[in-house]
Amino acid sequence: MNGEISARMKVALYGLLCVLLIPFVFPTWWMLTSSLKPISDIFVFPPELFPTHPDWSSYAQVFTVQPFAQQYWNSAWIAAVVTAATLAISSMAGYAFARIRFPGANALFIVVLTGLLIPSEVTIVPLFRMFLKLGWVNTHWPLVLIPVFGAPSVFATFVMRQFFIALPAELEEAARVDGLGRFRIFRTIALPLARPALASVAIFTFLHSWNLYLEPIVFLSTPSKFTLPQALTQYTDAYGGPMWNIQLAAATLTALPVLIVFVLAQKQFVEGLAHTGLKG
Amino acid sequence: MAEVLLSGIQKRFGAVPVIHGLDLHIHDGEFVALVGPSGCGKSTLLRMIAGLEAVSHGRIRIGARDVTDLDPKDRDIAMVFQNYALYPHMTVAANMGFSLEHRGRPKAEIAERVRWAADILGLAQLLDRHPRQLSGGQRQRVAMGRAIVRDPQVFLFDEPLSNLDAKLRIVMRGEIKGLHQRLKTTTVYVTHDQVEAMTMADRIVVLNAGRVEQVGSPLELFDRPANQFVAGFIGSPAMNFVPGRCTPRGFEAADALLPLPADALAAHAGRDAVCGIRPEHFEFCDPGQGVAAQVQVVEPLGSETQLGLRLGAAQVVALFHERLAIAPGDVLHLRPKTGAVHLFDPATGLRIDAA
Repeated sequence: MNGEISARMKVALYGLLCVLLIPFVFPTWWMLTSSLKPISDIFVFPPELFPTHPDWSSYAQVFTVQPFAQQYWNSAWIAAVVTAATLAISSMAGYAFARIRFPGANALFIVVLTGLLIPSEVTIVPLFRMFLKLGWVNTHWPLVLIPVFGAPSVFATFVMRQFFIALPAELEEAARVDGLGRFRIFRTIALPLARPALASVAIFTFLHSWNLYLEPIVFLSTPSKFTLPQALTQYTDAYGGPMWNIQLAAATLTALPVLIVFVLAQKQFVEGLAHTGLKG
Repeated sequence: MAEVLLSGIQKRFGAVPVIHGLDLHIHDGEFVALVGPSGCGKSTLLRMIAGLEAVSHGRIRIGARDVTDLDPKDRDIAMVFQNYALYPHMTVAANMGFSLEHRGRPKAEIAERVRWAADILGLAQLLDRHPRQLSGGQRQRVAMGRAIVRDPQVFLFDEPLSNLDAKLRIVMRGEIKGLHQRLKTTTVYVTHDQVEAMTMADRIVVLNAGRVEQVGSPLELFDRPANQFVAGFIGSPAMNFVPGRCTPRGFEAADALLPLPADALAAHAGRDAVCGIRPEHFEFCDPGQGVAAQVQVVEPLGSETQLGLRLGAAQVVALFHERLAIAPGDVLHLRPKTGAVHLFDPATGLRIDAA
């Protein structure tokens, strides 16, 4: 009897979850299917859930309208460099804040954390003036340096610090007795054990850089230097109207690597966040 | 192997002193146990010997070298931690060979040392496993293996058996003792378990509130405790303490008169004291020769019987190595065995007489 009720409850629960899923899944579904439709079919009513005659030509056009491959490469290397630099800085800073006792450590950490409280819109104008003076406007430097020394890195430092705090002190003491100095303890003991936290930091840092929009539109003006979010806005016709099918094909190509990475690494991502105490 | 010399060791955490000027000479090849209740400073002392904790005052010498200001890696010591502290991402073999690898020793030598240690500790089949794939006892063996591969001058053990169940603890106790007998390396072993200390150590250092209460062989501490703290700490079940006064008739406690040896009576008649009698040092006697005690609890343990008794106003425990047909409410006539009574000063707790 109880089993029957719980089975019904289960079905009801899954039904509810499916309904709740619609607002999250529909935009992605619409993006994917619309990229395979002729532009005239995209806004027909009632909407077609499946394209009747899938048309892949939009995907070829993505690369002819503007230098999309170059823009893809721009986004990829910037995100890779930002991720690598953030991992290096945040792991070392997080370790130092968690493990090295020095005067004012907690106060300094709070000062660092306040970096999270300042919206990027507030700092964008002074940053623009600074990079203008340095001659780095319309280069990729701002897109690398701002996240590496800005809020994403601060958040990454917080995540790494929380992880290293939870690492048993006896492991480090054993390593000290085994003859290791501070940096080697970090490199050979602490860092390999921090893989879940590093994975989550890598994923959200990569995503943040990949999706960065405000900074590219402020600092970049040459299409060959654009990154993907900025490039997506450029698929317009002569009258400024969007070329929906091509734009959605470009959007699909933009989202694809992120989806793949997240699906492959979601377990480590969640594990890493669990160590930070950010997840209940 | 080397001797360890601690001279005037003090340790403060901020303004709080935890070790108050401690002197100790651990001989070459000796197995010394540091025992005491939680917070007595035994682990802090061990960590100071290891170099994991700075010394506030005093000097530490290992062999001919003053190591007070040296890093742990330069002290030629190996330590086994309470939680084993095995590197989770390395195999058993990598854990054991890690320090040698770090010191740049040839791979063949590392492999040989690891194999030697694994053979001694019965780990040869487990070398490719990770710590998470091992039981508690196996992890403990790996931790010991990691210590012995280096052939250090001193082994330091910080409550290494406290995470194991009672049965395994007894097995590992024997293994550690056997290892010491085989290697003869100077060993300092911290434990709060006096049975561990008694069964393993050549000498025991009893610590209390950052001070040494007594240093001696297990049986010295058991037979001639220097004070009431040591008397109560060493021995299980713990020694009974009965406050009272030495009189020409015997030791008068609240409603009981305990017979005392003539020399003790002669030396201390009229003096207030605390009389200490170990539970196993009671014997049955005829009425009039000892003291009447009413049985309150009977605990048959198979090989022995433990009795909870009311002796006048005092509660005492008595242990007999025989099976007894006794029930709660029975009245027994008991006396301390000859030479088994300890007297302590009620004010200072110091031993005032050996019976």
